[in-house]
Amino acid sequence: MPGQTPHQWGMVIDLDRCTGCEACVVACHAENNISTVGEDQAARGRAKHWIRVERYFEGEFPDVKTKFMPVLCQQCDAAPCEPVCPTFASYHTTEGLNGQVYNRCIGTRYCANACPYTVRFFNWYNPQWDKPLHLQLNPDVSVREVGVMEKCTFCVQRIKAGEIQAEAEKRRLNDGEIQPACVQSCPTSAMVFGDLSDPDSRVSRLARGNRATKLLGELGTLPKVAYLQKDSWHDNESV
Amino acid sequence: MQRRDFIKITAATGAVAALEGCGNPDHQLIRFIPEEELLPGIAAWKPSICTLCPAGCGTLVRVMQGEAEVVRNGQLGLLKMGLAKKIEGNPAHPISQGKLCPRGHAALQVTYHPDRIRTPLQRTGQRGAGQWKEITWDEAIKQLVGQLSPLLAAKQPGQLAVITSPLKGQRRTVVSNFAAAFKASPIEFEFFDNAAVKAANQQSFGVAALPTLDLAHSNYVISFGADFLGTWNAPVAQSIGYGEMRKGRPGQRGKFVQFESRVSQTGANADEWIACPPGAEGAVALSLAHVILSEKLRTAASAGAAGAVIEGWATGLPDFSPEKIEKQFGVHGELIRRLAREAAANSPAVALIGEPSTAQSNGFLSAVAVNALNALLGSVGKPGGISFAPSSAVKLVPVKAPAADWVKSSAGLKVVLLFGANPRFLTPAEWGIGDALVNTPFIASFSSFIDETSSLADLILPDHSPLESWLDDSPESGSTRTVVSVAPPVMAPLHNTRSMPDLLLDVAQRLGGEVAKALRWKTYDEALKASFGELYKKQGSKSAKDADEFWSKAQERGGWWSAEEKAVPAAAKGGGTLKYAEPKFDGSADFPFHFLPFPSQMFYDGSLAHLPWMQEAPDPLSSVMWGTWVEINNRTAEKLGVKMGDTVEVASQHGSLRAPALVTPAIAPDVIAMPIGQGHTNYTRYATGRGANPISILAPMKVEGTESLAWAATRVKVSRVGEGKIVMFGASMEELPSTTKHR
Repeated sequence: MPGQTPHQWGMVIDLDRCTGCEACVVACHAENNISTVGEDQAARGRAKHWIRVERYFEGEFPDVKTKFMPVLCQQCDAAPCEPVCPTFASYHTTEGLNGQVYNRCIGTRYCANACPYTVRFFNWYNPQWDKPLHLQLNPDVSVREVGVMEKCTFCVQRIKAGEIQAEAEKRRLNDGEIQPACVQSCPTSAMVFGDLSDPDSRVSRLARGNRATKLLGELGTLPKVAYLQKDSWHDNESV
Repeated sequence: MQRRDFIKITAATGAVAALEGCGNPDHQLIRFIPEEELLPGIAAWKPSICTLCPAGCGTLVRVMQGEAEVVRNGQLGLLKMGLAKKIEGNPAHPISQGKLCPRGHAALQVTYHPDRIRTPLQRTGQRGAGQWKEITWDEAIKQLVGQLSPLLAAKQPGQLAVITSPLKGQRRTVVSNFAAAFKASPIEFEFFDNAAVKAANQQSFGVAALPTLDLAHSNYVISFGADFLGTWNAPVAQSIGYGEMRKGRPGQRGKFVQFESRVSQTGANADEWIACPPGAEGAVALSLAHVILSEKLRTAASAGAAGAVIEGWATGLPDFSPEKIEKQFGVHGELIRRLAREAAANSPAVALIGEPSTAQSNGFLSAVAVNALNALLGSVGKPGGISFAPSSAVKLVPVKAPAADWVKSSAGLKVVLLFGANPRFLTPAEWGIGDALVNTPFIASFSSFIDETSSLADLILPDHSPLESWLDDSPESGSTRTVVSVAPPVMAPLHNTRSMPDLLLDVAQRLGGEVAKALRWKTYDEALKASFGELYKKQGSKSAKDADEFWSKAQERGGWWSAEEKAVPAAAKGGGTLKYAEPKFDGSADFPFHFLPFPSQMFYDGSLAHLPWMQEAPDPLSSVMWGTWVEINNRTAEKLGVKMGDTVEVASQHGSLRAPALVTPAIAPDVIAMPIGQGHTNYTRYATGRGANPISILAPMKVEGTESLAWAATRVKVSRVGEGKIVMFGASMEELPSTTKHR
């Protein structure tokens, strides 16, 4: 509502809950009209997944440890992708998102080179949907054409819809009312989304916890996604 | 405005429209009048049911107005209609609780698949050659009735076979009644049939069903190879419980231990992942029980009938000391002792077993052993343990392996009706199901897609997609409530298809006589309404005043479910004891590796390999897209001279295949693993000719005590063929900026 501090959208991902199932990956494709590129283009590193699940193995058989980590745009407050864009297609919104204006983008790909998280994807060709697969497209999300960079938006269409709805009903947004598609889908509720400018929101409280870390935080990018590290189990120890 | 001007303007705009029309054929289509009222841009969420696996998750489908090219009355045109745009879990539904797995999201692409069969087809060329002629529904039904009427008159058993994927809800009634009129019973074909687990639960607890897990309240979970967070049983409900077990209870985090020979997506999340040779799971479970008994942490009697059925239980399982297990299987004795003590001290503790651990020759006995351990831990029918859905006892039918008994009796077969099952892809070639089908005089398929099995059909009568159909389901596990899901179609049919149950009702009426009597409903939704009438009579309702209101409320909500119920399994029948048996494997010392096919997170049993979202989603462990792979331990690969991506040949006594190697530390050195799902020879443009099918080289072995395929009991040899290609997501990305190589 007017006069309020703008929301600062952020996310917490609890790695102790995440099972690497990739429901988020497919939910994101469905929500955001991400086109599939096929085997040949995928082999050239051109597949687009705004959110991916990274898997790490440590050690040798049989003492092998596995970790999963979902990685999406970290919506950095000091985003390396933003200042390098010559056309201001990558910019910082008042609500703290790393916006991408598709019709300003001229495809220099500087932003993708600058991003340490490799979460920006370039459209090497016009997207194609074998008919009638085009009927699956979400009318709330624009389709990106050739030569344009695309990335996770925190489902800005859902954020806007929630804000407009709340404003129409003359009320404040409730904590947890807005959920990006990945958060909505997550079976273990590993992902929490909310307003970091509200210190009492669930996401703020979790992000302050002692398990919270930032991915490549040492680069000074000030990510708005916090990861809660995996716990370990010890007999009779309360965690 | 003058009339003359008006004509001028319309003439001008008409000209523009005509010019545009030349460039875009969409504009030349006839525009049909919309059948329903929807506001542009406003989404409606309609309840539905996911049909892609047996779990039976309730869903909500986002429906918005759009324009689709459709055929109506033989004419192609453009129709403004409600179109499904996204599928999410139904928060009110007890199984999905608002969540979904990756496969559930991709169900949307089944409806919009470009290779869906759009109209009835008649075979014109050689059987399986893929030459078809489009025919009308009248012709198609006439042909089917023509084939079936003589059989009905003859009343000879063995002339009609009905092969189907697992039937849900009233579809089972319709198809069974139909088949019964021909003295046939439907053969439900399911690759991941869990026959060993169900038979073991019948033996131990008197219920031949999959267990419902209450992980949310567990403090200790020991799983023997069960992929319960990925593909096994009710993965969404179990994942929700798992999240709660880990972090839903402040100060209390449950521990999870997984025994298996290859790190699965589920096993990857374990606090302790313990290497266990294939087939040794039951022995390890009994060894855990041995420690609990010998250290007097529980009494032998406390396990009741589930324990008593195991030979040597009353005397503390002397043959299963941890030292002996260590010697035999290499699982450390001290580790077994520690885990047994931890499990006994951290109630509620629960033990699970599932495929592929039960797809061994001794899978049934392993499952009986795990049941005994569970009973000893006191977790049966208790919070944090396992229970059985209240309704499951009534509606279960014995699981049949089709090829085993069907092929033998297929000599007199005249007609085969196929409902979505694909046994030709999912059975070893030696079972001969393909040959038996090829020699059948007439095959009619009701599938929406041409696959390896339906490609043999003479007549294809395409079903609606699930989103275009009336759906119902009463899941066997996943909730402690009785769940009866129901959902009307969420959108109008896109193509010239007909709903399978409705078509069967129609055909039954045309055949007349006994079939018509057995299928007395005019439409399938009438059958559903009748079943809900019976449910209302039996269960009553707090919110609905009569059966009609009960029925309409169920449709709005996505079904009916009871309050939480306490379901304690009936006692086992007892009688005799079972002796644990060592696993048997197909293949001598010339075949040094265990071959472990495993369910794919994206393709399940391969039935979802036709969906582009599933093909392009990277596998959670391997990151492979659009293909398959053979997992080889890094030390083994070094010995064999195999590098990442090299093409390797995997050969059993029954066949060989080639696929790229994936070198990984997360598999035992004597195990070779491969995902099930790729290797289709005929399954739409997205799946055909991609990778290899591990089932094609399996030995036709059975799980002892069941009729099911022991699909993880084959041994193989592996050799390098040459350089190959493997497509992985992120393979070209550097992990840290500091390691980036500059040119």
